[in-house]
Amino acid sequence: MIPFTLPMLASTVSAAAGGEGENPFEYLFKHVVAYQKGEFLGMTVWQFQIFQVAAIVAIFLAFAPVKRAVVQGGGGYFTKVLAGWVSWIRDEMVYPNMGEKDGKKMLPFFLSLFFFIMFMNVFGLVPGGYTATASVYVAAGLAVIIMLMMIVGGMIVQGPLKFWASLVPHGVPAWLLPLIFPLEVIGLFIKPIALTVRLAANMTGGHLVLLSFMGLAFYFGSSYGTALGLVVTPVSLGLAVFIMIIEGFVALLQAYIFTLLSIIFVSQALHPDH
Amino acid sequence: MAAIGAGLAVIGAGIGIGKIGGDANSAIARQPESTGDIRGSSLIFAALIEGVAFFGVVVGLLFAIK
Repeated sequence: MIPFTLPMLASTVSAAAGGEGENPFEYLFKHVVAYQKGEFLGMTVWQFQIFQVAAIVAIFLAFAPVKRAVVQGGGGYFTKVLAGWVSWIRDEMVYPNMGEKDGKKMLPFFLSLFFFIMFMNVFGLVPGGYTATASVYVAAGLAVIIMLMMIVGGMIVQGPLKFWASLVPHGVPAWLLPLIFPLEVIGLFIKPIALTVRLAANMTGGHLVLLSFMGLAFYFGSSYGTALGLVVTPVSLGLAVFIMIIEGFVALLQAYIFTLLSIIFVSQALHPDH
Repeated sequence: MAAIGAGLAVIGAGIGIGKIGGDANSAIARQPESTGDIRGSSLIFAALIEGVAFFGVVVGLLFAIK
């Protein structure tokens, strides 16, 4: 939904700024909007796909020495931080919520989910980078995996019929069942949608706020003369830097939130009793 | 109209997250030894509220640029 409409907003804003070509507005919009495309082997390639692949490559490069550092010790500062991060995810996020037995099976998936989202978010903050997770399609693709894990995994672990029966909480009167059951089924699909919107809107929203603060200087400059624009520039730049610091925190926080909520949703679907 | 909708969503999210933050702080003041647990669960609940608020903001954005 957003990728089709935001380019129109981008062109409106850049026309209002009176700029042709690459002005800061367009740069910031290309950051979050999938409209820069190229051709590769006859397929259309959007700029976000390049950064998804880049995130995967960076994960492989960054984590190649981690196993040796854990087993044998040693390794650089960055490697030690990543190794500690991995054990933190295992001990604080996966095991307390899923239990050790299921957690051991699911840990690789959630580790890769966390670091994939985190690397994509952080690449969006690097100059010249694009935030792949700001695209609804990327976030929805991740959420669809979670939804399939909930439904298919729940049906495998509990049995196909018992999974749908266990959606309804215990002790519900029989005459309420026609009302409760559809609500619970809808809730099953609302959870991944909420995951999608939270991730994509957070990453888009941060960049839009950044865009608005940077745009203050251009707005004052074009509307009230260059002198006032120059006066406003330090203020808007300071606000933008402040938002950028918050964005750095949000990039890590959203990876944490997405992973933790998926862990909770999947473990609820696998074992509804606890 | 869309701006009013976005503002209303922010009011709701502000009330909710403010209540979470205040209660989490007083809980930490009462039981400093469980700071980590309280911080983790308050982050989760803040994220849940934020998700609902973003629904409102996204709908507002879609109407604004239609």
